[in-house]
Amino acid sequence: MTTYIIQRLFIFFPMLLVISFLVYSGLELSPGDAVSHMISPELASTITAEQLDAMREAYGLNQSFLTRYWIWLTSMVQGDMGYSMAGGVAISEIMVKTVPATLELSMVALFFSTILGCSLGVISALKRGSGTDNSLTVAGMAGVSIPEFFFGLVAILLFAIELKWLPVGGRLLPHYETLWDRIPNIVLPSLVLALMMTAGAMRYARSSMLDVLAREFITTARSKGMPEWRVNILHGFRVALTPVVVLIGFRLPLLIGGSTIIEQVYQWPGIGSMFIRSVRASDYPLVMTISLMYVFVVLTASLIIDVLTALIDPRVRLGKE
Amino acid sequence: MAKSSLDKKFDQIRKREEEKTFSTKKRSRIVNKFLNNRLAVLGLIIFTIIILASIFAPLLSPYDPMRVDLRSMRQPPSFDHWFGTDSTGRDVFTRVLFGGRVSIFIGLGSAILSAVVGIAVGCYAGYKGGWIDVIALRISEIFMSFPQIILVLLLVSITGQSLFNLMAIFILTGWGGMYRLARARMLSLREEEYVQALRSFGLSTFTICYKHMLPNALSPIMVNITLSTAMFILTEAGLSFLGLGVPLNIPTWGNILNVAQDILILQNYWWMWGPVGIVISVFVLCVNFIGDGLRDSTDPSQQG
Repeated sequence: MTTYIIQRLFIFFPMLLVISFLVYSGLELSPGDAVSHMISPELASTITAEQLDAMREAYGLNQSFLTRYWIWLTSMVQGDMGYSMAGGVAISEIMVKTVPATLELSMVALFFSTILGCSLGVISALKRGSGTDNSLTVAGMAGVSIPEFFFGLVAILLFAIELKWLPVGGRLLPHYETLWDRIPNIVLPSLVLALMMTAGAMRYARSSMLDVLAREFITTARSKGMPEWRVNILHGFRVALTPVVVLIGFRLPLLIGGSTIIEQVYQWPGIGSMFIRSVRASDYPLVMTISLMYVFVVLTASLIIDVLTALIDPRVRLGKE
Repeated sequence: MAKSSLDKKFDQIRKREEEKTFSTKKRSRIVNKFLNNRLAVLGLIIFTIIILASIFAPLLSPYDPMRVDLRSMRQPPSFDHWFGTDSTGRDVFTRVLFGGRVSIFIGLGSAILSAVVGIAVGCYAGYKGGWIDVIALRISEIFMSFPQIILVLLLVSITGQSLFNLMAIFILTGWGGMYRLARARMLSLREEEYVQALRSFGLSTFTICYKHMLPNALSPIMVNITLSTAMFILTEAGLSFLGLGVPLNIPTWGNILNVAQDILILQNYWWMWGPVGIVISVFVLCVNFIGDGLRDSTDPSQQG
């Protein structure tokens, strides 16, 4: 087991290093440098080349590419993420503000989608071939076909504008004091995000449950005269859901992708809407840091899942990867 | 001596084999199975209608998708303007038709081109193995370490926005999945006896993997192409909705939806964004139905 984890770590760190280098050099190729983005159009006509060079020197832009990469990497490892170009705010400060909001939204959505997906999937499997099963399958396909932002917009129009049950967007308002004040704001974005992710969970749960129901220990349990619900719940359900829970981790990239656009639709002040804003503003330091953070999260999650799977199933460790 | 019934059967089979009815029979079985799947057929019909409507857009609509007409601003749907008009008086129905051209072209084109790249690399690397395979696998892993939308946005911020850039980015982010699929199929086909026989005949690697092995790996690839078409259309819509996809002057489905970011339009002018959202959803749903039907009819292990 230890050797397996070490093997995985030997892939993890070089991967992160290579990706950070690629991202850094990719942004290096983008048009203009940091200085040219800092100068407002009105100023650009009056500023002299010497002043520009002085600015470049001040920001260390006249050093070679590799030196800059090395400086950036070492300070990154020490926790100094540098500064955003828009307003010169420290990136770490932006992270501290936005990451909790995103975590809050994602966790609530993950919670709802897992419960909903697993139960619908199990129901679908138990009633295989019935009208319920077929309509759930079609509904699941509709769930992956409707653009999440369109679904979000319709939900805003319906529940926030027409019925006025819930706020249009945002997370915290100045007059909010207790937790109760904040709940209406998270309901719409988290439910929309959860519904969009339910389809995948449902499909996994359904096939996993069907797989288990065909096994012999289910037949044995039935032949003992156990009531059908006990067979399904105690024997089928429990065994079928273990892989589904592990699979939730695999859906992390999906969760991140979905939450990015949903955050924008609902003006949720999370990392996703911050990323979109930084891409729009060509705020390269911020774009780079946030995308690397995403990579770090995805790689860490897949590392954890691999180790968990190996713990559960010893055959994985003996295989090649 | 009378022939046994078994011999008769063999004779019949031999006769059919000589008439070469077997291969056509097999193909029609797949087609039949696909046609028996009602949702897949429905999907195919609507898919065809939407594609034909976009191709023949100039015949179906008297308006120009780009022409600004300030006298007919923000009109609700009527007989003259089926989906109403937008804030600059452009006919929304016409824009949906012309937008379909670009959106479908991006979706289908990126899916096919990324499949071509993925298959070209995957077949060869999967069959040959060795250092090519190791390198290709690592590169695809790098691309897969990003959540898809984040990688696309990152690349958009590097390259800037244009139709060509967007397709290039989609191909760059999409080939990895196709490569892995083709590679996995090749790894299992590699040990088949017919491949060993071909190798012992001294056929070149290219002939073996692209001419003889590839056709046997094609059906899961076809399914994957339809599913990634759906995904690319959704991604394009999402990006253009954010204003980061195709430049706004080109009508695409996502660009038409872009106006819905304005809460006033969202609230008061539903026809500017509602119908196009439904068209995207229906089109993607149809593509998914087709993909599902293809999988059920070509993959014997998927019978549920």
